[in-house]
Amino acid sequence: MPEIVLSIRDLHKMYAGGVHAVRGVSFDVHEGESVAIIGSSGSGKSTVLRCINRLIEPTDGVIELRGEQINTPSADVNRVRSRIGMVFQSFELFAHLKVVDNVTLGLRHVRGMSKDEAEKVALEVLGRVDMLERVDAYPGNLSGGQKQRVAIARALAMMPEVILFDEPTSALDPELIGSVLQTIRGLADEGMTMVIVTHEINFARDVADRIVYLDHGQVAEEGPSSIINDPKTERLQKFLSSMHEDEVPEAIEKELVDGNTGYGYVPDGKGAGPRVR
Amino acid sequence: MRTATPGIERIFSWSSIDSKSRVVILVSLLLICTIPQSTGQETITGWGEVESWTDNDLNAAVIHGTNVWVFGDFGTVRYSEDNGATWHNHSALGNADLIAADSLDDSMAVLSADGIIHMMFGLDADWEKIDSGQSGINGIAVTGEQSVVIVGDKGAIWQYTDETWWNRTTTFNENLHDVAFNGDQDGLAVGDAGTILATNDGGATWDYRAAPDADSSIVSVSYFNPYRMFAVSDSGQILYSTSPGGFEWQLREIESMDYETTLATTLSSIEVVSSSRILFAGPDGYLGLSLDQGLNVERNILPAGVNTSFNDHAMFDYVVGIVVGDSGVILFTDRAGENEDIGFEIPDYNNFGEFVEYADDMLLAGFIATVKIVVFGILLGFTIGVILAMLKTAPTSFKNVLERYSTNQIRGLGAYCSVIGLWLLYTGVSRFPELQLEGLEYIFTPVGDPRGFAMFALGLAIVAISIQFILADKKLSGPLFKVRPLNSLATVYTDFFRNTPLIVQFMFIHFGLRLGMRIQQLMEGTFGDPGIDGIDYFFYGDRTFLSAIFTLGLNSGAYQCETIRGAISAIPSGQMEAGRSIGLTYLGTMRLVILPQAIRICIPPIGNEMVNLVLNSSLAMVIGYSELSRQGKLMIATTFQIFSAWGLVMISYFVVTWTLALILRRLEDTTRIPGLGISGGS
Ligand SMILES: Nc1ncnc2c1ncn2[C@@H]1O[C@H](COP(=O)(O)OP(=O)(O)OP(=O)(O)O)[C@@H](O)[C@H]1O
Ligand SMILES: [Mg+2]
Repeated sequence: MPEIVLSIRDLHKMYAGGVHAVRGVSFDVHEGESVAIIGSSGSGKSTVLRCINRLIEPTDGVIELRGEQINTPSADVNRVRSRIGMVFQSFELFAHLKVVDNVTLGLRHVRGMSKDEAEKVALEVLGRVDMLERVDAYPGNLSGGQKQRVAIARALAMMPEVILFDEPTSALDPELIGSVLQTIRGLADEGMTMVIVTHEINFARDVADRIVYLDHGQVAEEGPSSIINDPKTERLQKFLSSMHEDEVPEAIEKELVDGNTGYGYVPDGKGAGPRVR
Repeated sequence: MRTATPGIERIFSWSSIDSKSRVVILVSLLLICTIPQSTGQETITGWGEVESWTDNDLNAAVIHGTNVWVFGDFGTVRYSEDNGATWHNHSALGNADLIAADSLDDSMAVLSADGIIHMMFGLDADWEKIDSGQSGINGIAVTGEQSVVIVGDKGAIWQYTDETWWNRTTTFNENLHDVAFNGDQDGLAVGDAGTILATNDGGATWDYRAAPDADSSIVSVSYFNPYRMFAVSDSGQILYSTSPGGFEWQLREIESMDYETTLATTLSSIEVVSSSRILFAGPDGYLGLSLDQGLNVERNILPAGVNTSFNDHAMFDYVVGIVVGDSGVILFTDRAGENEDIGFEIPDYNNFGEFVEYADDMLLAGFIATVKIVVFGILLGFTIGVILAMLKTAPTSFKNVLERYSTNQIRGLGAYCSVIGLWLLYTGVSRFPELQLEGLEYIFTPVGDPRGFAMFALGLAIVAISIQFILADKKLSGPLFKVRPLNSLATVYTDFFRNTPLIVQFMFIHFGLRLGMRIQQLMEGTFGDPGIDGIDYFFYGDRTFLSAIFTLGLNSGAYQCETIRGAISAIPSGQMEAGRSIGLTYLGTMRLVILPQAIRICIPPIGNEMVNLVLNSSLAMVIGYSELSRQGKLMIATTFQIFSAWGLVMISYFVVTWTLALILRRLEDTTRIPGLGISGGS
């Protein structure tokens, strides 16, 4: 069994408003493994992910990165974050910086590299996500899929021990999803350790080594990707069948393929959709 | 269809001129308005010839009490009782030439060429004769009652005191030409080969001072005060020393002579009449006047028919006095000999040209002064604005800060603070005057000692806070721990500055806090005397300048803070999360991610604030800073040209604000992020 990179023990999160979003979640992520977290909207997937790199403070529980607890006041939060990559649903590229500078920012100011060194690394990772042609573009002039690939490159450049994806494709038009999923699949094949929150059930099944199904802030079922074809619990069965009902009707799909887009956004209950300026 | 119609309309269409050229045009208009007009102007002499009743050469002049005396060849003596306007005969003092004279308090001494000293001790006393027994004596100085110092050829120095002659000749045996004292102790003697000798014990011992030019023959010296010593050489050089004791001497680089070190004429006498005014005299009808310690020397025009060699001045004050010369010439002045411009006696300020001739310097000075405080005010205001905005958006609460400490540590801190608080309370209260609660006015009695009251208030606050610390529970759930101290501080600051009138802030900061003075003293302590020009003076020579910058900056910062804070909160929270997720610190993300975007957003509203700052800078006149509006008022005070003065001031303000707006628009264009925002362009 490979080493455990990330270990979550009995995680609880109670939001200020009294919403008990996560109630005792535990799971492990092993070296080189990709874990997909699935679950219905509001089940606490994003909350778990954001607790892991301490964008929010868990109310209770233990999170360990390579055996070392990271959710204590004494842990160096900036160092922890630089070891964990994060890819957001709404990309969150730095709008005032060129693509290449988006990637070099962390290298230069966190890793302390010189401009030249950082650019070398940046070009290398941008090559891996197939974004070499647009290194001098500003994020505002990129397509959604390109933005998300740059965001992945930005996380990759920091050489994190694990990358967290929070619904990386749900803000994308359907025809742009493919390229991003392709990139993530490539990383999985390279043996990157990843935690992916996704609504793309098929993608989860194909790419993830393990599936964690969250329901009402609890792990309702956990197992190898085969559980999608063969769910053990009733709740997962129900969830999966609802996902199938949700699938885009053929008529609309045709429209989408023809280019009348604007449908690919799935609300995540927080209202943080793609921002139109 | 403007392009289709040729002619004047197309050429002068304002909107077809690009904005850069518009500035140039406006600035040139302003300049054209303020270029001095050439005008017919005539200059007359400031000297008048008076009758001396002699044709003998007059060599020396000296003030004695309210009288002025002149002495000349063959023992000639004349005196005047009306400042030199009319002259009386006096019987000759011997028949040798009288060559030099000096006075101190009530004593006067005249040196005759045969070595005899004629002295008068007391006003209207009789002349007494003292024989020095020397020949070749050139200069004399009175150093007290019954005491003189004389200098002469081959370095001869003799001191007469206690009714005895003492030989004080030094080893420097160049010919000495003149001696001058400031009071009765400090003196200077000058002579050939750049010789300068100084004494500080009334003439008993003399020290050599390095001369700036070892070839000059120094003929006359004046010891005005311990910081102002001047001398002239026969080759027209002006030497000066500003070091007490005359230790260092320099040659004046004369501005009016293209910074040459000589006036290109022979000089025989120098007379320093104020700390800046110097009169020069020389052979061949040379009389000169400098109003700035010899930097600029203007040659005096002489009355018609006078072209003699001048030998000595005697000035009652810095305007009234005489100069004497060969062939019995005495010239009188009541304006320090200054050339008089006629033709502008009563300028007609109704004539715009003449008004501008008078006002342009003032306007330009005001313009520069305004630009100075505006530039520094903007820099300071923006910095303060950014800092305040960051304080206001900082998420740090007491809870964040204290979380890492155990409950017991926090309680300990509370106990410690409460002791400090109680001490402050106690000291504050003990400073209150005895409370006599009789009538309404006594309610305010505690305010009688502001420091006591401040201590009382601070103590109360600290005690209140520390009680919550002492009562802290494990989760730090008390209301105090939700307080964000940085935010509160910034809020107090902005509330204060935005809810009081700027004009009162100006007066409070300048006269109340005396901020300008304090900064100036601090800078003086660190960098030394600011002097009267140069970079030091620019930065801390003027207290009102410092106060004005800080008032404008502090005030504008409070307003800019809100604008910048608005822009910061307009940046999606995901940007902060993204920055933090790659490991940047909070401040790092602020600096590298949030602020660069926020400041771009708020350039237009910040521009408004900056224009406001320019307009508000006019209030600096209340503390006496001579910016544009104050200069406008001064212009009106002398010219009464209200329309033109305020008109020019207004155009000047417009030029400043408009240029600023243009710079900001350019900045907005160049910093625009491609693909972001609908801004249409300017
Ligand atoms: N900042 C917040 N304050 C209060 N409640 C919150 C906050 N963020 C999320 N919640 C609540 O916590 C619960 C879990 O939210 P979370 O975003 O983790 O769901 P999710 O599984 O990511 O859903 P989705 O698939 O729609 O993204 C929801 O009920 C949500 O309303
Ligand atoms: Mg979510």
